[in-house]
Amino acid sequence: MSNAQPVPMSRVQPRTHIDVAGVVIALLLLVLAGMVWWDMTKLQILSPYDLGPKVMPIVVAIGLTLLALGNGVGALQGNLPARDSLDWKPIILILGGLAALIVLIAIGGGFMIGTAILFATTSAAFGRRAFLTDLLIGAVISVFVYLLFGKLLTLSLPAGPLEHLL
Amino acid sequence: MIHFRPSLSRTLIVAATALFATSAFAQSELKLMAPAAPGGGWDQTARSMQQVLMQSGLTKSVQVTNVPGAGGSIGIAQLVNNSKGDGNQLMVNGFVMMGALLTNKSPVTLEQVTPIARLTAEAEAIVVPLNSPIKSVQDLVTAIKADPSKVRWAGGSAGGVDHIAAGLFAKTAGADPTKINYIPFSGGGEALAAILGGKVTAGISGLGEFESQIKAGKLRLIAVTAPTQREGMATPTLKDQGVDLEITNWRSVVAPPGISADQKKTLTETIDKMVKSPAWQEVLKQKGWDDAYLSGDEFAAFLKAENDRVHEVLTSIGLVKS
Amino acid sequence: MEAFTSLASGLSVAIQPMNLLFALIGVLLGTAVGVLPGIGPALTVALLLPITFKLDPAGSIIMFAGIYYGGMYGGSTTAILINTPGESASMATALEGNLMAKAGRGGPALATSAIGSFVAGTIATLGLTLLAPYLVEVAVSFGPEDYFALMVVAFVTVSATFGDSPVRGLTSLFIGLLLGLIGIDILSGQSRLSFGVPELYDNVEVTTLAVGLFAVGEALYVASRRHIHEEKLEAVRGSLWMTKEDWKRSWKPWLRGTAFGFPIGALPAGGAEIPTFLSYATEKRLTKHPDEFGKGAIEGVAGPEAANNASAAGTLVPLLTLGLPTSATAAMMLAGFQQYGLNPGPLLFAEQPALVWGLIASLFIANAMLLVLNLPLVGLWVKLLAIPQPWLYAGILVFATMGTIAANPSPVELIMLTIFGVLGFLMRRFDFPIAPVVVGLILGPIAESQLRRALSISLGDPMVLLQSPISATLLGIAVIALIAPFALKNLGRFKAVED
Repeated sequence: MSNAQPVPMSRVQPRTHIDVAGVVIALLLLVLAGMVWWDMTKLQILSPYDLGPKVMPIVVAIGLTLLALGNGVGALQGNLPARDSLDWKPIILILGGLAALIVLIAIGGGFMIGTAILFATTSAAFGRRAFLTDLLIGAVISVFVYLLFGKLLTLSLPAGPLEHLL
Repeated sequence: MIHFRPSLSRTLIVAATALFATSAFAQSELKLMAPAAPGGGWDQTARSMQQVLMQSGLTKSVQVTNVPGAGGSIGIAQLVNNSKGDGNQLMVNGFVMMGALLTNKSPVTLEQVTPIARLTAEAEAIVVPLNSPIKSVQDLVTAIKADPSKVRWAGGSAGGVDHIAAGLFAKTAGADPTKINYIPFSGGGEALAAILGGKVTAGISGLGEFESQIKAGKLRLIAVTAPTQREGMATPTLKDQGVDLEITNWRSVVAPPGISADQKKTLTETIDKMVKSPAWQEVLKQKGWDDAYLSGDEFAAFLKAENDRVHEVLTSIGLVKS
Repeated sequence: MEAFTSLASGLSVAIQPMNLLFALIGVLLGTAVGVLPGIGPALTVALLLPITFKLDPAGSIIMFAGIYYGGMYGGSTTAILINTPGESASMATALEGNLMAKAGRGGPALATSAIGSFVAGTIATLGLTLLAPYLVEVAVSFGPEDYFALMVVAFVTVSATFGDSPVRGLTSLFIGLLLGLIGIDILSGQSRLSFGVPELYDNVEVTTLAVGLFAVGEALYVASRRHIHEEKLEAVRGSLWMTKEDWKRSWKPWLRGTAFGFPIGALPAGGAEIPTFLSYATEKRLTKHPDEFGKGAIEGVAGPEAANNASAAGTLVPLLTLGLPTSATAAMMLAGFQQYGLNPGPLLFAEQPALVWGLIASLFIANAMLLVLNLPLVGLWVKLLAIPQPWLYAGILVFATMGTIAANPSPVELIMLTIFGVLGFLMRRFDFPIAPVVVGLILGPIAESQLRRALSISLGDPMVLLQSPISATLLGIAVIALIAPFALKNLGRFKAVED
């Protein structure tokens, strides 16, 4: 069942310190449960014998609430698994590459430039320091894919200035 | 029914070589949007049009783009918002888009586009399992009048043409359409399995979905919703059996809003020539689509009438709030 | 046996040099598209239909069969090597397969997957040859209540993917169930959790979620820890080939996977995902090396891979006997038949035996060809892992996004991929298991809609779940599966006491 009790893991630990991130996760789950519930209230049953579209959201909302409690108790007892320190720089690089790709496609810049940028930023996130070379490699890969899927299979890949040249 | 057409492939190859032949293009460039993922019905229509337009030399270049999502709501929004006044842009659409736009409360409506022509149509078929006590349309009418909720329909997605047809049937038969027990299935195979397995009272879907089962004697065809019988197959219409209902799942092409009268004329003429070309007739035969060509003002009037009808049914089913 | 003579004549069609060439083109194309997430065999067949029209029916249908099986192979290869399942059916393979690859055992993982697929494909194709007419009767009698019961069985076994904390596992599962709510409710046509965004009406795509969580999430996680924990990938550690021990541990999972995949694949709404999960859960429960699950156990690759391939053959049962297309690829193959004026359906076997048996035979050929092509390539594939880490992960991200764009060229789909990537990163960081999210997304909507269909058909009577013998049996199995571990644990305790 969804209300399984969190297992007290270490009773030897005399003082428990609250895990802030764990509390935030529990609160987020509670927010999600509320969102599902609120969304559910706008639905209605349309067919005479249909169980209706509300039942599943209700199950999910209740489940998430119970799990929020479960996670919250665990966090307050401080018995979450240990976490390492975090290096934000590579994360920002990768997400930045993805964002560049999304924006370029949204404004009609085509996927090739975006893909090349994503390749280069990800590579940089993993410690390479040859941004221009990687940009070029990324571009070659995307040209190859464009020819294969755009031309051979006639899929409509998002086109921009570069794609129109090919 | 098996017919090989060895001559056809040869025709196509000959036609393909004509691809580069020069001719006077009324419409030199055309962008054709299929508001669905590659592979579906609208996409196949768009790609068949591309093939015919280019091979017959009516248009030099035709580019097909796919804008999938939400039953075409995303595609039409893009057509109306980004292609205003573009005389080289067309979009394939059909009956299903009407229902989707209404149920999704789309801010963009079909009234905003420039209608060009209706191309194809497919009749809906009503079938029952072989061991069903229902033998005719009248039996089904009696059953649905007695209690509409006890007649279990299997068909495609909620708010789609199958659902609308079932609602209209109940209404025309004199039953309350709000009480129909319509069970949507995902994918033709699943609905068909439920009907073959005798889980439901009746099935409703495109005739093509059921055709081979009917011919093999695994399903009993009660009626089709088309205005006339189909050639080469016993397909009694609803009208023949005293139910005044006609509904077909049609596909059409529309242009963006704000194009000039000249642009509209050129597009209409291009499509007219395409429909009348032998290559298009071959495509229809090969894909099993029924010709339902209708263009100009008549098509515009048809579109409006269909929209009103769909709006009314969906409201009575409860999918659209007044 | 009549079936065997027919099959033999089919084989003689399929091994004509031209048809072998088509099969080769098919498996190569299929492998290529299977590698990209989002582009599957169905899409490829759809796009190739106009081209293949010029070929003769036997040739093009043989090619489609090659694409179908090739796609399955391609999807598994990327799942194992770079944790990017090309199809949702290869998700279970990624779980243990990628761990094996990271431990330098990519060679055996790929080999057991290739041989397992071959074994399963061959047995399942034999099953298709011999059992199709009987199996299809059962398949059609499977009603919504029976599917719901099958989903209950699947839910019970999901806990196999939970890791060591039930609360965390359930949290992941419920996030998946929540994602499964997004979009238009198939039974009532109303949108849930879509907030007026039309792109959300079409439900969350399983491959987008799986690729986001697995591939993007992992890239973010590994990158964020590089300063303290340099991930060392050894392409090959130990034997490149399967050892005797690997064989011993693989053959039973292959057979069990086939036993799950073939019948469930033959069900009109069975699909390929559920048998892979059932197989994974079964192998995890039966293994003699429970400690290796979560670190790369070969059983966890062998079973799901066999199930995945067997279900592909299973799909052909309703297609060939009834003309029922029960998967996207089957639907495209149906279109392939139709363009030659062939009417698939109950009469196809009787009217076009040469073609049908040619297709079945070409499945054998495609399977054998994939085995012959892939085994020598194992060494080359594993070399992929020797690519410098920055390029490897950059390539993974490019592949992940490219597949998404090709299937749906909308920025919204990419935004979802990115969000799922961040979710995958956070879940790894806070030690939540990933797989249950995808499982919830797949199983939740099916369970819900089948239960609602069952109740609509029974006019609201819940007893239908117990009155159907299939459903009652499956629910019984679910109850046993739920109780058995506790009972066994107690038994184990007794034993421990006796010792």
